[in-house]
Amino acid sequence: MKRQSLSYFVALPALLLALSAQAHDPKEHMKEAQAPDCAAMKDMDHSKMDMKDPVMQAMMKKCMKAMHKDEEGSHEAHGDKGQTGHGNHDEKADEKKPAKHQH
Amino acid sequence: MTSFKFLSCFKCLAVAAGVAAVTGVGFLYSGLYPMGADDHHNDLTYWALETLRERSIARASNDIEVPTDLNSSERLLAGGADYNDMCTGCHLKPGKTESDFTLGLYPAPPNLTLTGDRHGHEHAGDTDNDDEAIKRQFWIIKHGIKASGMPAWGPGHDDQRIWNMVAFLQRLPELSPQQYQILTARGADDAGHH
Repeated sequence: MKRQSLSYFVALPALLLALSAQAHDPKEHMKEAQAPDCAAMKDMDHSKMDMKDPVMQAMMKKCMKAMHKDEEGSHEAHGDKGQTGHGNHDEKADEKKPAKHQH
Repeated sequence: MTSFKFLSCFKCLAVAAGVAAVTGVGFLYSGLYPMGADDHHNDLTYWALETLRERSIARASNDIEVPTDLNSSERLLAGGADYNDMCTGCHLKPGKTESDFTLGLYPAPPNLTLTGDRHGHEHAGDTDNDDEAIKRQFWIIKHGIKASGMPAWGPGHDDQRIWNMVAFLQRLPELSPQQYQILTARGADDAGHH
């Protein structure tokens, strides 16, 4: 009996600790993750965009990743078998591709 | 004669201090002070608590070193996603002007989509972009503020992750709702930012 109650004393704080650690793991938020609305970038005034601005650079990075992922998805949907080397693209290649779609 | 006067004066002070202490403790136990968040402090209490808070944070955050790469796109992306997940309920986001928390918490959490001199709180720095204000933000996110609703994020988040949020806060007031959405959305492969 004593052992059982002792195990509750140990297990409960351990469970609470594990849950609190999980709550702030970014992966927990992935369940409700929204995709970036990159189409909105097309409506922005490009003449006022400063490509050296970290905000603009961050948006470009985010949308390049998203568009690259879309492309991968559409390739898979079309049953493209020639995509085995796709995951080996380096960062620069990733950035160049969607940039063409942006402008 | 002089020592007699000093002694009687000392006794007077001791008696006055004793009466003040008993009155203070009596007031604490009386339950007369309203504790509801919808019943605001009087000006004197508010001033005393605000001064206590600001002086304490200023002293505690004084030695914090601000990273030199705070204005980087990587930090904005990482900090933005965390801000959106953890802070918007109280501190809002572009296009939103109130929430249940901003209406109900007292003191009301600052609207961080506005610059420091516009969100109505008296504290260090005229804008959010001076070192003092940046250190203050880092300290508050890491340690929280007692009895304010602001939790300490330090126990579950390392310093770099907190600095990412501070980096995002520096640019938040100038973001449009569309820019905010893109910067803060967690794509399926976004976990690598942390």
